[in-house]
Formats: sequence, structure tokens, C-alpha cells
Amino acid sequence: MMKRFVALLAVLSLLTAACGSDDSTSTSGGGDASGDGAGLDIDAVLAADLADCADAPEGDPIRVGMAMDFSDVVGFVDIPGSNLVPYVAEKINCTGGINGQPVEVRVAEVGSDAALAAQDLLDWGAHFLIGPPFADFALPILQTTDGKVPLFVAASTEPTLADASINSFLVTFDDVGMSSAAAQWALDQGITRAIVFTEGEGIPYTGVNPDAFAAAFTEGGGEVVSTQTYVWAADTDFSAQVNEIAGMSENNEAVFSAALGFQVTALRGQLEGQGLDGLTYIGTDALDATGIQFEDNNEGVVHTPHTSISSGDAIDTLLADYEADKGEALESRGFMALYVDSMFLGIQGVLDCGCTDPEQIGAAVAEISGFDGLSGEITYAGTNGIPPKAVPINRITDGEDVLVDTIG
Amino acid sequence: MIELAQNLIDGLGRGSIYALLALGVAVIFGVMHLLNFAHGEMITVSGYAAFWALGAGWSWTVVVPLILVVSVVTSLLIERLAFSRVRGAPDFTLLLTSFGVHFLVSALLLLYVSASVKNYSRPGWVADTWSLGSLRIEVFDTVVIVITIITLLATTALLQRTMFGLALRAAAADFDTARLMGVRSNSVIRGAFALSGLLAGIAGVFWLMRAGSTNPTAGIDPMLKGVLAALIGGLGSLRGAVLGGFALGLAEVLLRSWLPNSLASLTEGVVFALIALLFIFRPQGLISVTHAERV
Repeated sequence: MMKRFVALLAVLSLLTAACGSDDSTSTSGGGDASGDGAGLDIDAVLAADLADCADAPEGDPIRVGMAMDFSDVVGFVDIPGSNLVPYVAEKINCTGGINGQPVEVRVAEVGSDAALAAQDLLDWGAHFLIGPPFADFALPILQTTDGKVPLFVAASTEPTLADASINSFLVTFDDVGMSSAAAQWALDQGITRAIVFTEGEGIPYTGVNPDAFAAAFTEGGGEVVSTQTYVWAADTDFSAQVNEIAGMSENNEAVFSAALGFQVTALRGQLEGQGLDGLTYIGTDALDATGIQFEDNNEGVVHTPHTSISSGDAIDTLLADYEADKGEALESRGFMALYVDSMFLGIQGVLDCGCTDPEQIGAAVAEISGFDGLSGEITYAGTNGIPPKAVPINRITDGEDVLVDTIG
Repeated sequence: MIELAQNLIDGLGRGSIYALLALGVAVIFGVMHLLNFAHGEMITVSGYAAFWALGAGWSWTVVVPLILVVSVVTSLLIERLAFSRVRGAPDFTLLLTSFGVHFLVSALLLLYVSASVKNYSRPGWVADTWSLGSLRIEVFDTVVIVITIITLLATTALLQRTMFGLALRAAAADFDTARLMGVRSNSVIRGAFALSGLLAGIAGVFWLMRAGSTNPTAGIDPMLKGVLAALIGGLGSLRGAVLGGFALGLAEVLLRSWLPNSLASLTEGVVFALIALLFIFRPQGLISVTHAERV
């Protein structure tokens, strides 16, 4: 009798695990927050063992098109992203697919013609697309889709790329949300003075982020005491700016920029060389992808990653599984959940509309609410395609990238 | 006044690196009449060597000579695999070949290494300063200026007092006549590429120490600065290249400091406008060269 009871408990436990958690705050995802949600169990997908798969699904495939940039511009996120998404599709198919439908992923490199790559994917029959960040790539893709096929601009924070009316969606917060949260965090720490580095007012990413930070910081009662310019992704000698700052700093300011990690390191080194060792450095999302934590003197640097990964959580486990199965570690770990969520959201759209017409899938995606993705909770309903996500604030502490706050 | 003095020193430090880069460009132009747009690849490849070596636990004391060796070897390989195949071809062919080498190296690194920025630890002293009255001078700038002066003196001695230097200068003056006089063209050209690679390596050491990172296109910026400085100084003139490097470094730092904040983002644009103005009044650059044309 006891054996039967234990066996029953074991079966129930397995069934519970297989069906996923209902806890909407789960960090391991779960999807199915809108519509009937049947068929997409993120927990089960992530737990799939490729060495022990269910029978291969034989229904009509759900086709995921990835138009990716492999150049030095965004290859640092698109290359690992385009490796991880097909891997997760393998896991989905390993669990029997989505209601018996296999998921197929095709990757097309945008090269010098993003429109051509997008057309290739549409001709193949993609139900939705995952595209690269930056308008240079995303806009030609949107012109090709003509608003009729959902596009997830996976790693982008550019607000102008989101427009639900033409089925274009960000998967993470935008520049304004990200930098406003950074300003709020600085104010919460009692910092009232800021030095802002920009490439110029209104310039996408490198100017919009500092603009948003300055606006929120000032609105919250802080003062931007100096605005400096620099060349993004290039400058590593900030001598002229440092000399100017040395003449006015009270050694207690926040130094905000959308600079890449190695630039923040160089700037900090030069400012500390001038005796300014009391400044707080705040950067934007890219820092976790550009190895900011590598160097000792980055201790204390703050940034706003898309996902704050901790040892053993769902993303960490997925990336470890990938490494074990494929024999190589993926770079730009902080961005990877966005690519996987892009696919999950598209699949959720397919499930919600119960259709194969990309335009209708897009309409269903636009109504998604409370989707529990790998990168956090995602809602498109009532937005223009920018999910109102909470912004993690990470700080380099003892050489580790540690979550210290979440804003929003 | 203090800020001006500080900026002058910073400008000289930055200009020193540009001077070394320009010198390497000028050496090759003098011998082959080639404006080498692949000059930055020595720094790109050296950057990856530095990344791997430092990641493996090597110290900068070992990495510095490694960068120099890798830079020279890369330069010689580029000459052997690319430029030797088009030797004697029209200048435009050489120019296109150098572009091709640049794109090929970038693409290979992108495909077979990574598209990501690769960071490594800078030497601890890079951000240190020393005081001179009210001035706080970067140790880095001081070292760069001193090493540049030593390098320039050594290069001058090499060109003036050795058979290789004599052959190089003869080839720069009139390549065909030099060959008729017994100068071996292969040796001279390879020697020029080795020297150019060494100069790029020395500049690369400082560039990479300051940057603390590399990526597949890391060589573009130093290449552009080197070519620009060589143009400002007068193509083919070694003294002009050095002068052009210092002028460019000083112009960048001083303009960035003097321009009002609202216009500071135009610094690069203003630098280019000034260069354009220079070429209107002195199309030959700061120093005229009459013998750089390859015959």
C-alpha cells in the first residue's frame, strides 16, 4: 500500500513538473499567459534532453525566420542568438513540438541587403521574423514585410523600431525606460550631480539614452553639471574631456553614458588618474556583452542588463545545456534570453490565433499580456510594441556582475 | 592655463602614436608608392595575440615583445601573400589590394574568432599620473612620448647609417635606378614591410594598452589616423609623417577642448575641415616630396 502511495506521489510529481509552474513570477518562464496557451510549456522545453526525445512531431511546421547580421556591427549578439534559437527549437521538437507541429528555424544573413534576406525568409514561408537591432537593418526588413508579418527586433532598445500597428515589436525595454531607470537608481542612492557623455542630442542609442537619463535625473531633482561628447565604440582616450571634468567635479557625480564596456573602463582609469575616485559609473545594456567585468578597476560600475543571470537560473541552465550539447559557449549571455523569448512570443501568437496567416499572428501577438518569458514578464496589449518591463540594475561587486535593484 | 598645458601634453601623447603609425605608412609609400590601407591589420592581429596571451596569464612584459613580433610577421605575410603578387601593377591595383587585405583579415577574424569585442587587462600604470607643479601628467603619455622619440632617432639612424637604410632611401628616390645599381628589390621591399610592421607594432603596443580591447575591425581607426597624418605631413616624407602625426594629435585634443560643448561632437569634422583647408593651400602636405614617385 505504501509503495503504491509513493508511486502515486512520484507520478503526480512528474506530471506537475511536466505541466510547468503556474507561478507567474517564475524566472524559468512558462508562457501561456494569454489565450488558451496550450502547447507551449517553456519549463518542459528547457528541461528537454536531446538524447532522449519524444517521437518527432509530424504536423505542419511553425516557421521561424531569423534575419541576422553577422558583421562586426551586431554580430556579437546576432551570431550567438542565431545559434541558440535553433537549439531551443530542437528542444521544442524533442518534446513533441507545439501540439504536434515541429518548429523550423531558418537563419538568413542580412549582409548588405537586409530586405533580400527578409524576402528569402518570407518566400520560405516564415510565420514570423526575428531581426537584428539598429534601424539600418530593421527598417529594410519592415519595408519588406509591409507590416504583414510579425518582426521581433530581439536585441534592440530603439523606441522608433517598435510599432504594433505594423507588427514590429521590441522584446525588451526601450532606451527611455532603461536610462530613466538608471537615473532613478542614481537618485535613490542620493546622487544629485551627474556628468553625461553623449554623441549628440537625439542620436539613436548613443544620444537618446543620455537624453533620457538627463531628463529623468533633472526631473527627479538632480543636476547635470557637465555634458561631454565622445565617439561611441571608438574613443579610448578621453584626455580633453577628463581635463575639463577635473576642473569642475566635486568627486561625487554619477558618470552616465551609453559607451561600450571597454570605453567606460578607459574613461574611469583616466578620471581616477586625475584623483577623481568618488564617481559612480553607470552604463547601458551593452556592458554585459562587452566584458566589463573582466578588469579589476571596473569594481562598482553599474549597468542595466536585459536579464540579470544568476548561477543555476533558467537562462544559465539553458546556456550551460547548449555548451554541453554543442561544445561551445555562447557569448553575450545577457542578450540571449531576448532571442529565445522572440521565438516563444511568436509561437504564442500562433497558438493564440490558431492560424497560420502571419498578419493574424501579429494581431494575436499585439494582444499578448503577462507572458512569462525567460527575460521577464512581457505584455504587448495596450502598448505600441514596447513591453513595459522592469529594468534590472546590476553592479560589478567583487568582480561579479550582481543584481542590486530592479526599477519599474 | 593649466588645462591648456595639460591638453598640450595629452595632444603630444596622442600625436606620438599617430606619428609612429604615419611613419610606417610613409615607409611603404616611399618604396612602393602604395598607400597601405591594410596598415591597421598589424594592430588588429596583434590585438588578438595580446588578448590570448594575457588571457593565458602572460604578463605585459612578455606581451609587448609578442606584439612587436606578431606585427612584423603579419606585415611580412601580407607582403608575401598579397602585395608581392601585384608588384609592378598600377598604383590603383595596389590600393585596391590593400583594401582587399583589410576586408579579408576582418572577415576571417569575424568568422573564425568572434564578432564580439575581446577585452583584456591593461597594465596597472596606464592610468597613473605624476605631478609637475599643478599639472597631473599621465605616465602613459610620458612613456609614449619618450619611446616615440627613441624610435624616431633609431629609425633615422637605421636609414642614414646602414646599408639597408641606404638601399631603402635609394629605392624611395628611384626604384628602377636603384635596382640597376645592384639594390635587390625583394630585400628592400621585405625590409620596408618589416620596418613598417615594427613601427605599427610599437604604435600598436600603446594603442592596445590604452584600448584594453580588440575586435575584427580594431585596425581601422589607427590605420585612418596613420594615413591621415602621413597625408598631412606630405606623402613619402618620413619627417613629414612625424610632423603630421603630432599635428593631428594636437589638433584633436585642442579642438575638443576649445570647441563649445554644443559643437564638441563636431571635433572630428572640424579636424577634417582644417585638413581640407591645408590641402587647398599646400596640396603637397606640410613637407614637399619630389622623389616619392615610383618610376
